[in-house]
Order: sequence, then structure tokens, then C-alpha cells
Amino acid sequence: MSASLLRIPIQDAGGEAGRPAQAAGLPTEQLANVWRADQLGSWQSAAIPSGHGALDRELPNGGWPTAALTELMLQQSGIGEMRLLQPAFSRIAKHRPIALVQPPYLPQAAAWVAWRLPAEQLLWIRTSRAVDALWAAEQILRNGSCGALVLWQTHIRHESLRRLHLAAQASDMLFWLLRPLAAAQDASPAPLRLCLRPAAGGIAAKILKRRGPQREGSLFLPLGFAPALRFVQKGSHHAPVDRRAPAVAAARSVSPALV
Amino acid sequence: MHLPSLPLEAFRPRWSEPGRYVVVDRLQVLTASEEAFAAGVRVGMRRGGVGMLCPDAVLLEHDAAKESAAVDAVALSLLQYTPEVALAEEASLLLDVSASLRFFGGARALCRRVRESVLALGFTPQIGMAPTAQGAWLLARAPARTMAGGAGIRQRRVLRIDTLSRRLDALPCTLLPALRPFREWLEGIGCRSCGDLRKLPRAGLKRRTNPAALDALERAYGEATELLEWVQAPETFCAKLELPDRIEHAEAVLFAARRLLLQMTGWLVARQRAIACFVLALEHERGRQAIAPTLLEIKLAEAAWREDHLTRLLKERLGRLVLQAPVIALRLEAAQTEAMAPPTESLFPEPGGTPADRKRLLELLTARLGEDNVLVPAPHAAHRPEEANRWLPATLPRRPAPACPPPLARPFWLLAAPIELIMRDQRPFYGSPLRIVSAMERVECGWESDTLVMRNYFVAQGEEEAFYWIYRERDGEDVRWYLHGLFA
Repeated sequence: MSASLLRIPIQDAGGEAGRPAQAAGLPTEQLANVWRADQLGSWQSAAIPSGHGALDRELPNGGWPTAALTELMLQQSGIGEMRLLQPAFSRIAKHRPIALVQPPYLPQAAAWVAWRLPAEQLLWIRTSRAVDALWAAEQILRNGSCGALVLWQTHIRHESLRRLHLAAQASDMLFWLLRPLAAAQDASPAPLRLCLRPAAGGIAAKILKRRGPQREGSLFLPLGFAPALRFVQKGSHHAPVDRRAPAVAAARSVSPALV
Repeated sequence: MHLPSLPLEAFRPRWSEPGRYVVVDRLQVLTASEEAFAAGVRVGMRRGGVGMLCPDAVLLEHDAAKESAAVDAVALSLLQYTPEVALAEEASLLLDVSASLRFFGGARALCRRVRESVLALGFTPQIGMAPTAQGAWLLARAPARTMAGGAGIRQRRVLRIDTLSRRLDALPCTLLPALRPFREWLEGIGCRSCGDLRKLPRAGLKRRTNPAALDALERAYGEATELLEWVQAPETFCAKLELPDRIEHAEAVLFAARRLLLQMTGWLVARQRAIACFVLALEHERGRQAIAPTLLEIKLAEAAWREDHLTRLLKERLGRLVLQAPVIALRLEAAQTEAMAPPTESLFPEPGGTPADRKRLLELLTARLGEDNVLVPAPHAAHRPEEANRWLPATLPRRPAPACPPPLARPFWLLAAPIELIMRDQRPFYGSPLRIVSAMERVECGWESDTLVMRNYFVAQGEEEAFYWIYRERDGEDVRWYLHGLFA
């Protein structure tokens, strides 16, 4: 067993930090590898900063974990989940493509371009059956040429989750699984699980599971791109006036010779 | 390499259903399947005796044409290991691998790969390796029990010429086909092994036996030069395989198709080509109730010649296929080839894999899910969002990206069909009353065709703070609101 796998929660009842570990008979050089239950844990792989300082402070290694399954449970689709992931996307899309498997609606490339992300790095995989979606996700993880994978699933069996998590561990990719909020009740092998709810000017994230102590209450994450507000501030030098539209041109009413 | 059970395996490849099969040449048993041997059938037995021992055995007549076609198929697929493959007598093949040893990681690794390839083709190989071709032939041809130190493949591999002479001295001299008519005479004078034969006076032997045998022996010991006629790969590739049984499941075709793919791999490597498109035809009933063959065309985004990749692609395609009728034969044709571009090895591998890895992933996904389900964006300069948001199959050749339109407030999710919103208190309602939080964006186009749209788009916010992209259709006096997107 490698030393980094050693995770022994130690009750530190007011004593010095090192003493309980010595009592457990561990050599001094191993103490650095002992995780204490009141500290944040760490990933064995690299983490990619999420771009939201408040979230990074709460995640082990300060970011989204690579080579692990991350579950995001949404109240509903379209509450700002892609804007939450966008800083991570823009880091990855410089070098590697990002795959969306079975998204709930049609992704719009114009929004992607508006985030100043290269359109050619986006890959949309449309499947009709959940089996195909899981197969596609596993193949993408195995191949490893994509930098991130986002998979949408409503119902997913526990065996499939374990399988996906294993495939993710063998890769070096970011892997988010987006599920409905009801799935928060079920057990999952994912080392990081977040519940997302919309909030005014951002999104409210509750950390359901992480390597580290339980965190009560939810985090408010302001989302930088608030489409409506920006649009109002920049686009309207004049107050909108509700006027009647000019005469309606019916189809083929103008003869081609006049045009 | 010798194929000891070729007469049987030409009819029943290793992957076909096991059963009691006996191959007879006129009246005598030539070889039989393991199940038939277990039932008591022996080589050299009469046809009637087989009928007595196991009446349910299937008797197959020895077919020389089929056997030579099978040896040709093996030779073609072995061209991937060396360009110098020659056919030898008695169902054997000679491969000059001296130039390929280093590339495939040594003699043992090469032997293992050749063995795996031949097993996948459906034949059982017996591989001998020696510094001389005739010596390797003798080692491969020797029955296992006479080998020094007991049975085992280790003894069939010799790398030095003096070890080879010691090994050959112990082999029975009647292994050489030219000496078989003189078997009784040789036994009479007490000459059994090749070593005994070499001790006898040469001139007398030459007069009393076949001079060709002595020449072969000299070639085996490396005392005479060997001239071999190498197999040439044909100009075009089209291989056909008659199946031993009728196949009714598409997945089961894969075993047989793998044999054809291996042949094609050998052909591609020999001709230094890479495949861009190939066609697999599944042939059904012929004759009076003939059914047209099912054609399976597989196109590759990037030309490839690796057998494992081609097999995976074919597996996914076959998984989607539903057979209309049982398959009785397969035909594989290389429709389009390109010059092979060997991979360039970089000193530091890229983290995301090579572009070829990415192509392989796209091909694999396309093979199972279909071309229309693996998509990349191809933004189109149009006003209507559903038209501007165009996606194209990822395996199509990419055109240079068009000049991107200026970034507008566009939602990430677009609904496939806009949802008409109900009105409550003069306000559009979607879960909760929507509040408009942006200025209007007018989209009015399509008058030149019959698809006129006149829409005023707004960003709206529901009570639970999510943003929606809605539009009001300007069509006459009545006001209708639609939901068209979600700002994810």
C-alpha cells in the first residue's frame, strides 16, 4: 500500500498535532501523509481551479479534481451550470476538446463563441439510449484525447457509476456527471458531489460530499456573466420605447424586380 | 511454419463450432477433429472403420484447391511481419525474418505475434526457427515427441548454426519427402536419423536414392545456398471466405471477418498502403432463392492499417446491423487506399494524445452511434438562431472556421422546438411569472423564402432567478410568447 493512500482519522482531543499519531505507532516521516478529520483532504491527481475563489477554498487541492467522477445535482437544467464550469472549460479548451454527452437541450455554439472559447473544441454526442451514452462516456474516458467530459443522466445504476468512476480514475480528464436533485439521496462512489440551486446573481452550491469535513450551509457563487444585466447596460443607450412595428411584409409580397 | 491440421482447418477453422469431423483422402483418413480422435478415429483408418466407430461423424473429402487457397491467405496476412514469405512443400510457409527481428522486439516476441495472427485466422501453426530455411522447415515439420528433451516449442527455435546441426542430427531422415520412398531400405541398413545419413558415403547414396534429398540436407545444414521464390502481394485486394456454417447473428460474423481483415492488413503493409474505405459484403442465399448481399461500407476519417482498430470499428458496425437472412459467405474489398504515413514519434508525448488518437475516438463513436450523432459546431451566418446553430458530423473533413459573428447574448441551451408560453396577468408564465430584464433584440428575416419570422427576443428571469430566452411573435394583433432557450 502506498503511503499516500493512508487515511486514518485521528481524534485530536486538545493535544499536540503529532502525539496521537505517535501513539498509533507511526514513524515520524509518515506523519505528513496522515490526514486529520478536521482538515481538507487532497486528490492524488492534479486539480484544475474552478475559477470561483469561494468554491476553490472549499475543494481539496483548490479545484475540480481530474481523474475522478464529480457529480453535480441540479434543481433543473439551465440554472447556470455551464457558466459555473466555464472558467474550467476555458482552461482546457486551449489544448484539448470538451465532450458533451446526451445534453438535455441543443447546445448553442454562439454562446460558446461568446465566451471566447474555440468552437472546434466542442464535441456534442447525441444518443437515444442511456446505454449508448454510458458506452460513449466510457470510450471517451479510455481514449483520453478529450480534456473534459460532461455527461447528463437522469437514472443511473450504481454499477454504472462505479464503472464510470473506475474509467475516470484511469484517465487524466475532468469528468462531471449532471443529475437531477433527487439523486442526492442515493449513495455514490464519486469523491465530490455538489447540489446546485439558482440564486440571485449567481448559483448556490451545497457540498454534499468531499474529502474533508462536512460543510453545513450552501456557498453562494456569483457568476461573472449575467447575460441580462450586461445586455441592459451595454446595449441600451436609449430607453426602450414600445412602438408599433413597421408594416408587416408578407412572404413573397415584394416582386423580385424591385428588390 | 507448418500447418499440421490444414486439411481439416481448411473446412472447419478453429473458431467454427466443434464437432466430429473426419477428412478422408479417397479411402483413408487423413486427419480428424479432436472430438473424432476421442471417439477412436485414427489417421490411416479406412472410411468404413470410421462409419463403425462414430456413425454421426461428418466425412469431408480432401480438397487440395481449398488448402492451397488457405495457405495463400495465411501467406498474405503474414506479409505484415516480413516482405519475404515463400510457400514450401507440405502445407508449410517460409518467412525470412532476419530484417524484422529488431522491429518486433526479438525472436520470441515475433514468434508470439505470428502465432497469434495465425490462430486468429483459424489455423494451428507449428513454428520452427533456424538460420537456414530448410532447417527451419525440418524443425517445424518434426513431430513433437522426437524432439530432444521432450515436447515443447522451445526446442523448435534455434539461432546458431552449430546448435542447428546438433538438433538436425537427431531428427529422422524420412522427414524429407524425397527420401520417403526409400524408408525400408534406409531402415534396413540402420540409417534412421539425419546424422546417420550424413555419415554414409555421398556418391553411393546419390546413386541409390534421390539426389534431391541430399541437396535438401546440404541446404538445411547451411552447406549450400538456398533460392526461394517470394510471394508477391496482388495489385488490388479482394478476399472471399466461404463460411463453414450459416451465421444468423451479426456479431458472429466478426470472427470470420477478422480473418479477412488480417489478410487485408498483411496486404496493406506489403504494399505500403493505408486503407481509407473498405466494403464488407455479407452474401446470403444463392441460386433460385438468391438474396442480394448486404454491403457494409466503412469509411475512415484518417487512413489506417492497424488491424485492432479496424476490428473495433467493424465490431461496432456489426453490433448495429440486423441480418435479413443467414450469411453463407463474406467478401472484403479494399475500396480506397492511400500511401501509408508512418507515425512520427515525439520525444515528449502530448497529454491529450496524438491527433490520430482523437480521430480514432471519433471514428469509434461514429461507428456505433451513427454519423448524425457525433457532432461539432459549424456556425452559420444566419439571423434565425435555429439556423445559425448548425452542427455537422465530426468525421467530415473540416473546413476553415468562418468569420465568427460578434458575440451576442445567446443562451447556451436552445430548445429544439420553441414552447408556447401561457399568459397570466398579461405576463408570460413558465413555472413562475417571467420578468423581462433586457432590451429587445429583433429578428426579422426569411421573407425571400416562405419561412418568414418576425420575433422580438428578450431575456427574462423567473422567480427562482434562472434566466430564460423568450420571444414575442409579431404576427398581427394577438401577442404570443415562446420560450426558446435557457441561459445555462
